[in-house]
Amino acid sequence: MTPLPDRLRLDGPPRKVAVVTGGSRGLGREMARSLALAGAEVCIAARTATQLEAAAAFLAEECGREPLTVVTDVRESADCERLIAAAVERFGTLDILVNNAGIGDAPGRGKAVWELADGDWLDGIAVNLHGTFWCTRAALGPMRERGTGAILNIASGMGMRATPQSPAYAAAKAGVISLTQSVAAAVARDGVRVNCITPGLVAQSPPATEEEAEAIRQRGRFITARRLGEAWELGPLALFLCSDASAYVTGANYCIDGGGLAGGIAPTGWAVDEVEASANG
Amino acid sequence: MADWERREGYDLTGRRALVVGFATPAGRAIALALAEAGADVAVASATMDGDEVMAAKRASRDVAKLGRASFSQGWDVTLPTNVQVGMRQLVKEFGVPDVLVCNADAPLAKPLTKTGDAEFARVQAVNLHGAFHAARSWTRELGAEARGRLIFVTSLLGERGLRHQSAYAAAKSGVLGLAAALSQELAPRITVNCIATGWMDWTPGRGGDDPAENLLLRFIPMRRFGTADDFGALAVLLASEASGFISGQTFRVDGGVANHL
Repeated sequence: MTPLPDRLRLDGPPRKVAVVTGGSRGLGREMARSLALAGAEVCIAARTATQLEAAAAFLAEECGREPLTVVTDVRESADCERLIAAAVERFGTLDILVNNAGIGDAPGRGKAVWELADGDWLDGIAVNLHGTFWCTRAALGPMRERGTGAILNIASGMGMRATPQSPAYAAAKAGVISLTQSVAAAVARDGVRVNCITPGLVAQSPPATEEEAEAIRQRGRFITARRLGEAWELGPLALFLCSDASAYVTGANYCIDGGGLAGGIAPTGWAVDEVEASANG
Repeated sequence: MADWERREGYDLTGRRALVVGFATPAGRAIALALAEAGADVAVASATMDGDEVMAAKRASRDVAKLGRASFSQGWDVTLPTNVQVGMRQLVKEFGVPDVLVCNADAPLAKPLTKTGDAEFARVQAVNLHGAFHAARSWTRELGAEARGRLIFVTSLLGERGLRHQSAYAAAKSGVLGLAAALSQELAPRITVNCIATGWMDWTPGRGGDDPAENLLLRFIPMRRFGTADDFGALAVLLASEASGFISGQTFRVDGGVANHL
């Protein structure tokens, strides 16, 4: 294997420090893994302590260094402030923030506009958009002070293409794309870069049962790539956008969606739901 | 169904690439980045312009210095037969490339009413027809089962307008359309993506490096022009086995310009 080029390395000295929200599983855990393997000190945040500990053990096993874990509810501004402060206290600085925490509806299970209660709407916006803002604002303190930093937001194909369900999630993710652009424009001269990855339909973890594998295969049929993405596929792209290799990239939205957004069947699952609905009468 | 086997994003060991177009330093930067990541890299100029052909030869020599196999040709991508024959010979001598990077580039900055027929045709022929010819010849050689990675180097002028850029912007937006269509037609075996550059340090008429003196620079949020080093790693990632779920996209490397223009 060829060594990682210098500009992709995060091992310094000193090692870069990365915070990954929603880092206990799925995309977040895989992105944390890629950053840690490139040499970063990693702090992962999530709501559930037991899952965080399991992810920490996984990362320590894969990368040989213990990550910091901070139980965080990104809906709460104070939690986000505490998370950033904890990372800075432990590692002395903050170079990278990956705003990945988010909650979507299970495929085909989202509610339509008229079914959405006040609480559903507020929670969808809070966890998917407010959390990104709270963490970003907190991280910009140490980043702007040092004149360097990379923020990576994780949006969704649903923020770019319509589906009949999950309006709160879609609006929040479109908000994440827009927030990426605003913050990027605001801090470009401070040396801080802000970018976005928009995933299409991506399986969060390997299927545990043959049933799950079949469900993933079925949904994959409707994507241009003829399969769902796999969470690990976000790792190398995240490493690019969080490292000096992307020093001239800011305010950009990099999509990883199996070709759906370019003009094939939308990567949002809309077509799948339609087909399944008509198949079920 | 893929197998959930994590693949390296920045290792191209055992892969073969072809980079076409050395009129801008992007071609050389990408060829060397691919070689450093472990790929054997063939090169071809996009035109028979003496400087470009020499730049391609130099890039080929430098790929060889890194210990990788290389092969150099002079192409005129505006001529479909020339590209077809060149590709055929390259396949014989070097092997079928798994990766094609098309960096054919011919700029033109002229008001609409001053742009002559031949000038307009030339800009379309190199930037757009060249991309089409190269992609078609490569896909024919690739065979029905083989997997591949197709990367076009384009410009943010494919997505944004600027005065005196009608011919160039039309050609570059054509490449974006070509890439989007091919990303669907060639799926799932071949992924097709674009790297869109902003104002680079080789962009004609860009002016000086002092933002106080150069108004253009003040429009670039990062307050500098891009360099050839700014997208090597991205090209390697898009060429790698780890980018199988990335297709039909344009990746801006532009210092944040398109974000607010």
